[in-house]
Amino acid sequence: MKSKKLLVIMMAVMLSILLSGCSASAMNANSWSGLSADTEKAYLANGSLVYAINLDNGSVSWQYPADKADAKESYFATPVVTEDGQLLLASAGTAHSLVSVNAATGVVNWIFGDSEGIWIASPIVVDEKIYAPNTDGKLYAFDLNGNFLWAKHLGGPLWSQPVVDGNFLYINSLDHNLYAFDIQKEDIAWTTQLSGAAPGSPLLGADGTLYSGSFGSKVEAINTDSQTIKWDFATSGWVWDAIALEGETLYAGDLDGNFYAIDATNGDSIWGPVKPNGTILGAPLVTEDFIVIGTESGTAYAYDHEGSTLWQQAIGGQLYGAPVQGGELILFSPMENDSILVALDTEGRQVWQFTPEN
Amino acid sequence: MWDTYIIIPMTNVLLFIYDIIGHNFGIAIILFTILIRAITWPLTAQQLKGTQGMQELQKDKEWLGIQKKYKDDKEKLAQEQMRIYKERGINPFGSCLPTLIQFPVIIGLYQSIIRSLAATPLSLLNFSRNLYPFLDVTEIVPLNSKFLWMDLGRPESLPIFGFDLPVLAVIVLITSYMQSKLMTPPANPGDQSAAMGNMMSIYMPFFMGYLAMTFPSGLALYFITSNILGVAQYAMMGRANWSNLIPGRK
Repeated sequence: MKSKKLLVIMMAVMLSILLSGCSASAMNANSWSGLSADTEKAYLANGSLVYAINLDNGSVSWQYPADKADAKESYFATPVVTEDGQLLLASAGTAHSLVSVNAATGVVNWIFGDSEGIWIASPIVVDEKIYAPNTDGKLYAFDLNGNFLWAKHLGGPLWSQPVVDGNFLYINSLDHNLYAFDIQKEDIAWTTQLSGAAPGSPLLGADGTLYSGSFGSKVEAINTDSQTIKWDFATSGWVWDAIALEGETLYAGDLDGNFYAIDATNGDSIWGPVKPNGTILGAPLVTEDFIVIGTESGTAYAYDHEGSTLWQQAIGGQLYGAPVQGGELILFSPMENDSILVALDTEGRQVWQFTPEN
Repeated sequence: MWDTYIIIPMTNVLLFIYDIIGHNFGIAIILFTILIRAITWPLTAQQLKGTQGMQELQKDKEWLGIQKKYKDDKEKLAQEQMRIYKERGINPFGSCLPTLIQFPVIIGLYQSIIRSLAATPLSLLNFSRNLYPFLDVTEIVPLNSKFLWMDLGRPESLPIFGFDLPVLAVIVLITSYMQSKLMTPPANPGDQSAAMGNMMSIYMPFFMGYLAMTFPSGLALYFITSNILGVAQYAMMGRANWSNLIPGRK
């Protein structure tokens, strides 16, 4: 009997350790990376650190925090460079801070830490105001000095950066809605229901049409005048991130690993789907000459505008984030890989890679 | 293996319940717990029977006799004990089995809750791969994690008079204490195993309360539902020892 009680105590201790282990591994598994670039530097949010990396040789210009990573912060969102030289960082960690640092030096300008939810979406700057969507369903507004102005509840967790047409912010939500937010009135102007949860940003066409992918396994075109769905295009799997537009052709990938070219005017298929070797999450990068995507199996693909493969390059890890153009380079931020930033030239050859110390 | 046989089936059952009851994850967890309790009912009954049988043995003359007679011969004592177990139809490990079953359920449920509520991109991606084809989750993703005042994906606390109090953890502590006390048979004075059992009935509720306070409140909801159902089951079987709830009574 005594040994049985001891067994129960030991099992209780084991349960505690196992649950703690699950919790810790869940935290690790929940990393993500965000990548942006200008003509000189790439800005990479990766776990508890953000790096500014020189594009000419892949060396670190600065990192934030400069000395030691803060375990309470985890940066998923793509860093945003403002016109006045700030770099805005949004954390999905337990402290979930919105941070502004000097883009040239990495020195902190200000920190906001009073949101209810974590930050997965990147903020956007319009007319010297910062608009930041949060997973608590609110859109937060700040001035460029980081002073909190207001927070308006939209609905559902907001995971993606808004797009703007001057008068309205268009924000996708996981609650299956696209919200049009009137910047002057500081209120929701209208909403349109999408076919499913939409974790990626909408795309705004030159004629004012919005395009959005969703977990409804569709790409949808929304008429912003009538606030209705113009057409939809069925995909095989969920569409995760933003889609891309070149001329009148939309490019989109899905979680089943299909890549599509769609006529933006009517939703007809132009070519495809082509099937690279894995799930496609990140938005395609469209250049004048080709379209680049990354797959979960760690390979980058370049297609011409007719859908033929120009080149493919094995990078390693998992390419969940969208590829980014930095100067003449194409940048990828693989996860589960020693090198967390890889630069390719326009023919797919690796130019450099960045592997953090330790 | 763990994913295939524990986590993924649990996640899909939870989602199925969530879908048919109108998208309430709290109710889905409660119904899921009832389902688990129903499946493990025979085991719990066996546990009660085993505990009762072991307790009765402590007062049995033959049992006490062999303890005294073979106190210096451990091998012979074990043989005699096994003989008595066999004769009386007692499985000495029968009372451990339901406890053992609880562990994969608790860990599996914890992971299923975290996966189902998918609060980050990678967890949502993993979630999308854990779904059985017959479940159309397009309409239900993302899951509504709100239940009463709780966010079931996060540890719970309720602001009362300016303090964030872990109400659910306190309820877990109380119901765990009630359950362990009700299932403890009356003890003989000087009975060491009963003393150990009493200690357990104090420490274990605090341990469960600690888990409830630290981990997502969905898990605490499971603990509370499971404890209440356990008490109801003991009462229905006529085994609940209500006098144990009165402080000071042995």
